[in-house]
Amino acid sequence: MTADDLPNPEPTLDIDRHLKYWKMCLQSPLPHHYLSNEGNRMALAYFIINSIAILTPHANNNNNNNNNNNNTDNNLITPQDRRKLRKWVLSHQHPGGGFSPASSLVYPLHGYEQSEPETGSQPAEAAGMANAPGTLFALQLLALLADEDDPERAFDGVDRAQTLRWLRRLQRKDGSFGEVLRLLPGQGWFIGGGYDMRYCYIAASIRWMLRGDVEEGEPGWVEDIDKERLTSYILSSQTYDGGFAGSSQEEPHAGYAYCAISALSLLDRPLQTTSQPPPPSPSLSRIRDLPALIHWLTSRQFIYLEHPPPVAEQEEEEEDPVNFLLPPLTSLSLSPPLIASNGRTNKVADTCYTWWVVAALSNLCQLQLLGDWAPARRFLLEKMAHRIGGFSKYPGGPPDVYHSCFGLTVMSLMGEPGLQKLDGGLAVPVVTVGVIEQARGELLRRARGEGKGKGVVELGLRMRGGTTRPGWLRGVN
Amino acid sequence: MLSIVCLQAATTTVTTTKPSAPAAPSTNNNNNASKQPEKEEPSTVAELSRYHFELCHPFEGKRSTTQADQLVWLASRLVTRLPVRFLGAKGQKDLWKTVNEHSLPARGFNLRKYKKRQQQHKGVDSRGRDIGEYTAKEWGIRQEKRVTLSCLQLQSQRFRELRDRQKRGFVDYQTGDQVLVTDSEYTEEKQRRREMERLSRELYGAERMARQGKLALDPEWDDVVPIVMEDPENALAAIAYSPDYAEAMSYLRAVMSAKEYSPRSLKLTEYIINLNPAHYTVWLFRAANIFAMKLPIPDEITWLNQIALENLKNYQIWHHRNLLVEHYHPSIASDPPALASFATSEREFLTQILAEDTKNYHVWSYRSWMVGKLGVWGNPEELRSTEELIEQDVRNNSAWSHRFYLVFSDPENCTPGEKYAATEADPKVPGEIVDREVAYAEEKIRLAPQNQSGWNYLRGVLVKGGRGLSSVREFAEEFVKGLGEGEEGEEVRSSHALDLLAEVYKELGERERADLCLRRLMEKWDRIRGGYWQWRREGLELAEVAA
Repeated sequence: MTADDLPNPEPTLDIDRHLKYWKMCLQSPLPHHYLSNEGNRMALAYFIINSIAILTPHANNNNNNNNNNNNTDNNLITPQDRRKLRKWVLSHQHPGGGFSPASSLVYPLHGYEQSEPETGSQPAEAAGMANAPGTLFALQLLALLADEDDPERAFDGVDRAQTLRWLRRLQRKDGSFGEVLRLLPGQGWFIGGGYDMRYCYIAASIRWMLRGDVEEGEPGWVEDIDKERLTSYILSSQTYDGGFAGSSQEEPHAGYAYCAISALSLLDRPLQTTSQPPPPSPSLSRIRDLPALIHWLTSRQFIYLEHPPPVAEQEEEEEDPVNFLLPPLTSLSLSPPLIASNGRTNKVADTCYTWWVVAALSNLCQLQLLGDWAPARRFLLEKMAHRIGGFSKYPGGPPDVYHSCFGLTVMSLMGEPGLQKLDGGLAVPVVTVGVIEQARGELLRRARGEGKGKGVVELGLRMRGGTTRPGWLRGVN
Repeated sequence: MLSIVCLQAATTTVTTTKPSAPAAPSTNNNNNASKQPEKEEPSTVAELSRYHFELCHPFEGKRSTTQADQLVWLASRLVTRLPVRFLGAKGQKDLWKTVNEHSLPARGFNLRKYKKRQQQHKGVDSRGRDIGEYTAKEWGIRQEKRVTLSCLQLQSQRFRELRDRQKRGFVDYQTGDQVLVTDSEYTEEKQRRREMERLSRELYGAERMARQGKLALDPEWDDVVPIVMEDPENALAAIAYSPDYAEAMSYLRAVMSAKEYSPRSLKLTEYIINLNPAHYTVWLFRAANIFAMKLPIPDEITWLNQIALENLKNYQIWHHRNLLVEHYHPSIASDPPALASFATSEREFLTQILAEDTKNYHVWSYRSWMVGKLGVWGNPEELRSTEELIEQDVRNNSAWSHRFYLVFSDPENCTPGEKYAATEADPKVPGEIVDREVAYAEEKIRLAPQNQSGWNYLRGVLVKGGRGLSSVREFAEEFVKGLGEGEEGEEVRSSHALDLLAEVYKELGERERADLCLRRLMEKWDRIRGGYWQWRREGLELAEVAA
């Protein structure tokens, strides 16, 4: 396990090559096979901008390992572009709160004329649709695209109160969250999106990014989600083998485990981050069987063995492998060359699970249980990194924005030289978390009537010749 | 009046001049556009019309300075443009004389017509070929197509009018019946528009005729104004999708905005789902249509089955199914045979789709939800079909998970109300169930000792059943021989057995032995989890481990 045992020197992360891949994704349309993600365009945008942020050294970065890529294209996104892209992100904001995840769900403004965001009545719902992931990624993008010298204005234009009100309505009676609200004929309001731990995590993230510490009765106060119910819903989703699923009755999944752990951690996270990773939250200690969870998470790692090329006469071998190859136990004493991770017991290797597993342990503040990082890093760089840049889902596959982003996030979480240090709970660089905190602070100041824009709306309304706010302006402070 | 005076003057001059006109064309043969008809037959339509024009206008575009030439030219102009009887008798005589002497053409198309022709010959066709280059025959075919297109446009116009009359509730004045547009007329119109589109593009080329989408051509969608989406200059993650998809989405936006729940909206969702089955909004809108029109749920499920088989990795399909069953369930809940038969058909389909993809997460999630919703507990078929999948692949953890759920969430076997967590003992679990499940797990572990699924299951069963882990000590020890007795004597067939034994010994208070298991895992049998085993050792609170 030490460097002496290794025949080859450690591979390096080719930052320029990855930047080139992301530059391509930034500047030209994504190919047609991304069509299935058309409804989640904001997520694709987050993968692109987040990766570029991770790969680009920040002006105020304390990271002392960025000497080797000072010559990279620091201006991949110019300040003017940042402004325009923020405008584009904000164009997805829904008058009823939240953001639409795709431009195809944003309607021309006249579609909102009759909207009633307070009650969320039909017309507002009919035109345009906000959803939980769209809102999370939009907020992250606004922070990632903030002006470097004016971070506290990153959330300018975000309707904090309305978004938090809308978020509350996504919570079900059992405490879980859905992703979207829809009025179904004959069924009333329906919280769409299934029982999915991802939405619980997203709700906890949005809440942490926007809510702040406004007390009840103060201006800008919005009723909170039912935090206790959400916590108990998450806690009850631990499965018999220690992992987490959408409910305890399903198969545990590393992505859901990350979401459960991170949601618990974000629900109690201090508003200002003082250390990385943030100290474990009290909610985490309520996990019913923490040793089993840790056992399950660490068991996601395995020694990666290549499937032998299929032999002609063995026809059943030609189909996709459903299990990873088990090494014979007797050979285990050899130094493990490559370590991969899977998302479920006995499933195959996938780049993103290295991230979900490592980040989950990091959020539990148990990263030391991971053991040696080098073989896992080597697996990513030798098997998953593509020669055009980016990472693939499976060894030898083509890169895609999702796996390329999570390949980078995990490397950055593990302190890869030349990369921005990452926050494992919010999956954006630590500097961006700072931006979010400042931007939230500014929104809160305005909500309390201390902000720079105090009275502007009232002035505008007076100029318009009335004091009643049109529906789309309600909730704007 | 003035013109007649001039004319008379002119004709007088003509008669008194010796003409030299016949030489005029030949003296100007430096004009390369003029071809000698004797030498080369015009072949293309551009050449042909020029040729005809030149025959009628021998002097057009040519200038001669001599007075005689000018007179002949004037005669040729007059004879083709004026009714000759306006001239006096002498004038007519002189004119005809000049015309005869110089064989001037007395009739022919005029300049305006010629210009129009030229206009028609300009441009390129859909293949990029210059229309002027067409042969007369090709030109004829083209003209025929233009006539066809005009006729189709008229028919299409008639269709629109008819439909308009139907909408206003008009009656046929002859029969007194309501004006009705029949289905076949719709189909004809649809075909007609496709034909019109094809002809237009063929005639006028792709540049002049923007391609019309399928829906724009469909008479059913005439009254919908699509809400087209346009990206601003700076936008992220645009996807290069097909014009068909863009068109379909713009119509979807229009009907969603208008909350139109109709057969055509439903059809539109199907069309989009075939293009992109992963758009959750389309699915929700489809569900809204089905509920609003009160369409039979089983029909929709049958339709959905095919889509699910074609798109195995799709999450939205299963969410949609979930929603449908949620909606359908109350109507059959009080009818046990109907419920049972629905559960059976669901299981049959799930078995079919799991045969294609045995670990499909969405299918298994749906399955566990379905079992609870339809109350399939205790159904031996459900357990058996799960067992079959474990038999096919003993490492199929999805099937193991489902088994655990089937056995231990069965209201017969557990305390109701999810009082106990999955990781907690439930006193209501019958002992014989625990015995049965322990035996099952042990049997499968013997088949594949290094399979983690079996060991996790065994451990889960023991915890749930409130049994100590030490109750499987002998079983686990089968896989471990001579632990700590040196490289030669030590034989471990399952690192998971060693893992479990560490807990067994800890439970029994044999901490040294537990530590030995963990140490051997760390040193040899599962080195990649060194950090984890070390942490477990620290949990034993042995003096020397902490050091």
